[in-house]
Amino acid sequence: MTLATFGQSALIAMAGLGLTHNTLVVLGGVAAVGCGAGVVGSLTLLRKRPLVGDAAAHATLVGVAGAFLATGRRDLPTLLAGAAVSAVAGLLVLVLLRRFTRTREDAATAIVIGVSFGLGLALLGGITARGMPGGGGLERFLLGQTAALTARDAALLAAISLLAIVVVMAVLKELLLVAFDPAFAAATGWPVGLLDAGLMVLIAVMVVIGLPAAGAVLVTALVVIPPVAARQWTERVGVMLVLAGLFGLVAAVGGVAVSSLRSGLATGPLVVLVAAAICLASVVIAPRRGLLARRLRSRFDVGGDRS
Amino acid sequence: MNAGQQPLVEFHDVTVAYGRRPVLWNIDLAIAEPCLFGVIGPNGAGKSTLLKAALGLVPVVGGFVRFGGLPLRQVRGRVGYVPQRESVDWDFPVNVMDVVLMGTYGRLGWLRWPGRRERAVAAECLERVGLADLAHRQIGRLSGGQQQRVFLARALAQEADIYLLDEPMAGVDVRSQEQIFGVLAALRDAGRLVIVVHHDLRTAAEWFDQVALIDRRLVAAGPTAAVLTTDNLQKTYAGEIELLEQLGQAVADRGRTE
Repeated sequence: MTLATFGQSALIAMAGLGLTHNTLVVLGGVAAVGCGAGVVGSLTLLRKRPLVGDAAAHATLVGVAGAFLATGRRDLPTLLAGAAVSAVAGLLVLVLLRRFTRTREDAATAIVIGVSFGLGLALLGGITARGMPGGGGLERFLLGQTAALTARDAALLAAISLLAIVVVMAVLKELLLVAFDPAFAAATGWPVGLLDAGLMVLIAVMVVIGLPAAGAVLVTALVVIPPVAARQWTERVGVMLVLAGLFGLVAAVGGVAVSSLRSGLATGPLVVLVAAAICLASVVIAPRRGLLARRLRSRFDVGGDRS
Repeated sequence: MNAGQQPLVEFHDVTVAYGRRPVLWNIDLAIAEPCLFGVIGPNGAGKSTLLKAALGLVPVVGGFVRFGGLPLRQVRGRVGYVPQRESVDWDFPVNVMDVVLMGTYGRLGWLRWPGRRERAVAAECLERVGLADLAHRQIGRLSGGQQQRVFLARALAQEADIYLLDEPMAGVDVRSQEQIFGVLAALRDAGRLVIVVHHDLRTAAEWFDQVALIDRRLVAAGPTAAVLTTDNLQKTYAGEIELLEQLGQAVADRGRTE
C-alpha cells in the first residue's frame, strides 16, 4: 500500500468518524506547530531562558490589533505577520532594558510581559468598543481558537513550523555549545550574541504560529512544558528534542481535538492541560530523574549511585 | 606560530574594568618561550579576568593582547581554553564524549558535525586525562576532579599551541591534581605554552617554570624561584595577610575568654 492510498483510506476512515477534511488538515497543522514548539522550546530551556517565549507571546497582541487597525483585514497571515513584528519588538525591548538599564533579566521580562500585554488588551478593547466591522473575533488570539482556521492557514502554520525545525537542526551544534558553555563558545570564536538573537527570533516565530492553537496567554506553555517533560526521560539531547517535539505534538493535537467536541470552546486551556498531564506523569514516573525512581533509589540504594 | 622574535603571548599595558570599577591595571607581561606558567594572586586579584581579557571575553579598556604578534582573531584556533568548572551547569543532557567533541567545533565550522576523525581525537584526549572508560557517562555523574579533567580533555581536543586554564585545580582531589599537572607538563614538553590561573602556592612552587604574581597590578613575573620570594608574596597578599592576622587575633581572643 503506497503512502497516498494509505492516506486516502485513513481519510475515509476518519470521515466515517465525522472528521472533515478541513478538520484533519487543521489537526495536521496544529501537530506540526506543537512539534516545532517543543523542539525550539527545548533550546531556550537549555539556554536557561524559558521565559523569553512568554515575553514574546504577550507582546503578540499589540501586533494582532495593530495589523488589523493598519490594514482593516482579519485574515490569519496578516494578523500573524503583525504579531511577529510586535513579538520581535518586545524581545528587542527586553534586550535593550537589560543592556542599558542594569535591570535583571527576570525583572526586564516581567516588564515586557506586563506592558506589552496591557497595551495589546487596550487596543483590542478599543476595537471591540467601537464595534469596528470585522473587529470581532480578534479576542480568539487571547486564549486560542482553531474553529475558524482554514486548511490553507493550517498548511501555512505547518510549513513555518517545519522550517523552524530545519533551521534549529542546521545550527544545533552551535546552539547547544552556547547553551552549555557560552564562555567557551565565545572564546573559540562563535558569535554567541548572534546565535542568541537567532534563537530569540525562532522562539518568537514559534509563539506567533502557536497563537491560533493556544493563544497569547497560554502559548508559552507549549514551548516550556513539553521540553521540561522530555528532560525527565533522558540524558541525551537528541532524545530530549525528539520527545519534546512528540509531547508538544500530542498536547496540541489532544487539546484541539478535545475542544472540538464542543463548538466555541477555547483551545488554549485544553492544550495546556494535556501538556501539563504529560509533564506531571513524566516528573513522577520517569526512570532515574522521576520522583518515584529517586524515592526508590534513596530507599534501596543507600550510598550507591551519587546522581 | 612565532612570527619573527615576537613573544608567544604579550599583554601590553592592559587595563580591564567592569562598569567603572577597574579590576586590572596596566598589566605588562610577555611570555617568550613555551613553559608551564602560573598566574598567582589572592581572591579578587583579577587572575581570571586576565585570561578572559586575552580571549576577548571581557572588554579591554586600555592596552592590547597579542599572540606571536598577532591579534586573537587571527590565531583563535591555536588558543585552547579551560573555563572555571563552576561556570557551567553540569546537569546538562550530554555525556563526557559530547563535551570533549566541543573542542573540535572550532575547526569544523558551521554545518559540519564531528565525524570519525574528531571522535578519534576526542577518545585520545580522554585517554590522556585518564577518563577513557567514562566516555559515555552523563557529565552530572562525575566527581569534581573528573569534571575538571573533562574540561581539560576538551581543550586538548582543540589541538592548540597555547592553553589558558582558569583554576583547573579548584575543588579537585589530589590524584586528579597530579594527573592534570602531569598532562600540562607533557604539553609543555611538546612545545606548548600553558598558562594556569592557580591559587595554591605550595604546588605552584613545585610545578611552574615561571609565574606572575598579580594583585590587580602585576607585582612580579619571571622564573618561579626568583619570583616567589617572601618580599613579593607579602606585597601580593598584603590584604589577605592583614585579614589572616585579624582572624588569628580574634580566635586567640576567644580562646582567652573561654
